[in-house]
Amino acid sequence: MGSITEPWSIAENGNANATAKGSSRELRHGRTAHNMSSSSLRKKSDLRMIQKVPCKTLKKILSNFQEVILGTKLTVLFLAVPLSIIANSYHYGRPWIFGLSLIGLTPLAERVSFLTEQLAFYTGPTVGGLLNATCGNATELIIAILALANNKVAVVKYSLLGSILSNLLLVLGTSLFCGGIANIRREQRFDRKQADVNFFLLLMGLLCHLLPLFLTYSATAETSTSLINKMSLTLSRASSIVMLIAYIAYLIFQLWTHRQLFEEQEVPKSCMFDSDRILERICLARWDDTRHRIAIRDASDSWGLSVSFISVILLPIVGNAAEHAGAIIFAFKNKLDISLGVALGSATQISLFVVPLSVIVAWIMGIKMDLNFNILETSSLAVAIIITAFTLQDGTSHYMKGLVLFLCYVIIAACFFVDQIPQKQPNGMGVGLQPKNNLGVFSA
Amino acid sequence: MAGIVPEQWSAAENGNANVTAKGSSRELRHGRTAHNMSSSSLRKKSDLRVIQKVPCKGLKDFLSNLQEVVLGTKLAILFPAIPVAIIGTYCGFSQPWIFGLSLLGLTPLAERVSFLTEQLAFYTGPTLGGLLNATCGNATELIIAILALTNHKVAVVKYSLLGSILSNLLLVLGTSLFCGGIANLQREQRFDRKQADVNFFLLLMGLLCHLLPLLFGYVGNEETSAALISDMTLNLSRASSIIMLIGYIAYLVFQLWTHRQLFDAQDQEDEYDDNVADEETAVISFWSGFAWLVGMTLVIALLSEYVVATIEDASESWGLSVSFISIILLPIVGNAAEHAGAIIFAFKNKLDISLGVALGSATQIGLFVVPLTIIVAWILGINMDLNFSLLETGSLALSIIITAFTLQDGTSHYMKGLVLLLCYFIIAICFFVDKIPQKQPNAIHMGIQPMNNIITWGKGVFSS
Repeated sequence: MGSITEPWSIAENGNANATAKGSSRELRHGRTAHNMSSSSLRKKSDLRMIQKVPCKTLKKILSNFQEVILGTKLTVLFLAVPLSIIANSYHYGRPWIFGLSLIGLTPLAERVSFLTEQLAFYTGPTVGGLLNATCGNATELIIAILALANNKVAVVKYSLLGSILSNLLLVLGTSLFCGGIANIRREQRFDRKQADVNFFLLLMGLLCHLLPLFLTYSATAETSTSLINKMSLTLSRASSIVMLIAYIAYLIFQLWTHRQLFEEQEVPKSCMFDSDRILERICLARWDDTRHRIAIRDASDSWGLSVSFISVILLPIVGNAAEHAGAIIFAFKNKLDISLGVALGSATQISLFVVPLSVIVAWIMGIKMDLNFNILETSSLAVAIIITAFTLQDGTSHYMKGLVLFLCYVIIAACFFVDQIPQKQPNGMGVGLQPKNNLGVFSA
Repeated sequence: MAGIVPEQWSAAENGNANVTAKGSSRELRHGRTAHNMSSSSLRKKSDLRVIQKVPCKGLKDFLSNLQEVVLGTKLAILFPAIPVAIIGTYCGFSQPWIFGLSLLGLTPLAERVSFLTEQLAFYTGPTLGGLLNATCGNATELIIAILALTNHKVAVVKYSLLGSILSNLLLVLGTSLFCGGIANLQREQRFDRKQADVNFFLLLMGLLCHLLPLLFGYVGNEETSAALISDMTLNLSRASSIIMLIGYIAYLVFQLWTHRQLFDAQDQEDEYDDNVADEETAVISFWSGFAWLVGMTLVIALLSEYVVATIEDASESWGLSVSFISIILLPIVGNAAEHAGAIIFAFKNKLDISLGVALGSATQIGLFVVPLTIIVAWILGINMDLNFSLLETGSLALSIIITAFTLQDGTSHYMKGLVLLLCYFIIAICFFVDKIPQKQPNAIHMGIQPMNNIITWGKGVFSS
């Protein structure tokens, strides 16, 4: 792992005590574990070339440009962004557009987190923390909202679910595994309390998914499908509001009253910067998303993969690539608190913020999206949450824990890979699969 | 909130800040449990001066006795609801009114029963007293359940018992932890995990007994008749009930004899020197206590009868489903006294007592009241099984798991309480929107299994 940037190595050497607490610089600038992890992919910009440019304004613009675009190791992948746009205007095969867009999204996700962090320097810790917490999963949120606008409710549900699963099992699993192998002689410890808070919230999210599911299964033959859908919808919308309240309380808990629980190590930070480019960035990301969102069905047809597999497994891997790499790097350095903060924080954020927000946005747009992810997806989620929660009960880690989580992810991926049950309805995964409704169709 | 707590508790708080200290306390010698201690926070000292002026001694005794029992609680204001409810039934009040009044009247009675059992414990000694307390702690729930059974309202029984467990686990515990967390924001809140853990094993065992009959309904294929499945479910439920009762008896033995130090709520050595006189004398005699207890039980039975008889009418005229009323409203009323007590102790950072109340009550209903109801139904010849339907069992399972996770690390903060409370709201919303009609008077589950639907559908086709 020689590829880690300079500031991080300094932090590592200077402060070996992973659980040390104190008023760190992190919090003063509202940085979360999520950002710290992404920033491990950054590199120092080399500004020497730009110094030679004569005009002052031009110099400024160029150095700004360099900081934002070239400040990441994933820069190479930026090439995919114009390529996918070009490909789209020249009507290449849609699977190609899909693939290129996915690749293009990877560095964008990392850059958005860089820019929010930059903005946090100007806004102060509290607003900055809020901004970070909200934009941390901007990619997932934008994908979800755009898919909603295209009325692809199933894709929204699948990709959000996949994102939670990937954070809980894949990101956490590989981090713990790599960390365990690299530190095989050392004891790996982390602070349980932070992890615990995330699990209460995840379990609460699970409850919100389970109740509508049970509601549809507990209907009698006489109850009409429309009544069930109506109940499930009302329940989902009310639960979403409750979930958002819980998320706000979680932010208050995390940023004000109990911030010592979430405090990470002190890390020197190299940067300054004017950040109004964030808007441009997000626009670009959104542009890109639209492309690949439209292409997803074609990609699924021509690659022979089901939409569910692509949405649950492939999309989140790409969306989380930056955090994923960061989490592994920190696990290698035996800084499990940061790795856990990334993986669990991200999962909690999606489950308690992005999911209910999508339901509410759908409500505003008049789309009937409920929290009823169908039985296969909900139980995968339930088992994933419970396994992860048990794994992290004792505050220590070894590679076996990581391996088991990773293998669970592979099993779930295999399950969605072989799942070829057609999804006819554009809206609602739950609809075609309920025994009740089948009966209703039958008797009609 | 804290201002209304009786004197001796404040003394305990000041004198002994160490919450987890153990020792042979006097609490246990008189068989008091966390449950009673919590209820007692609602009591007030009787002012006997007026009565002293009464000349006749017999009358004086009677009056002071009456005052101790009737006016010894802050909930005494609610007592007038009892006669009003009784008069109401004879004067032909509308049914929902009677339902509401009876619910109000039940609230202080639940607290008084726990007071009387505690008084009796002074005469019977610790072991018998502990048993008495453990058994009468949820007398209201038990009486409502048995009366609903005799009226063949199996669904109401199941719903109200389930609701009681949910309300103890999520609502009582959630508000206690939340209020406690807000009030003690700067302090660390600790509690003893072991006591909580014992309750969770038992609750999980109870969950298993509910899950197996539920799964039975789903494993049958089309050839298995509905009658066969309900027969199997019934046999399984009755056998499980006996095992659950064995589990509960073992729990009592564990709690009152072999491991009583685990359940020793708090060490209050310091306080006893000052407050012995107040704390330790029984205020009423054994026989009058016994008579009051019998009388109270009869009144509870009467009110419960009204509640059970009017629940459908109330449900119709209020536009709420029976399931919502039984799962959410009934338990809130039945647990009001313990609920208030649990919150007060959480405010004072005495989480062990709050947990003892909420979890102890949930365990008691899950492992004692529920199986006892099944066995009573068996004796009465009613087919009641442990199969709460999917939605209800699912809520129960999630509640137990979330609460168990919340209490894993022995510390608490307001976020934990808030999450539990919000989970309760979500479940309440779920039962609020649940408008699936419950046709069958007996058994919630009958219409709900896919197998049975297919069969009824098939029959419908054949008959038409």
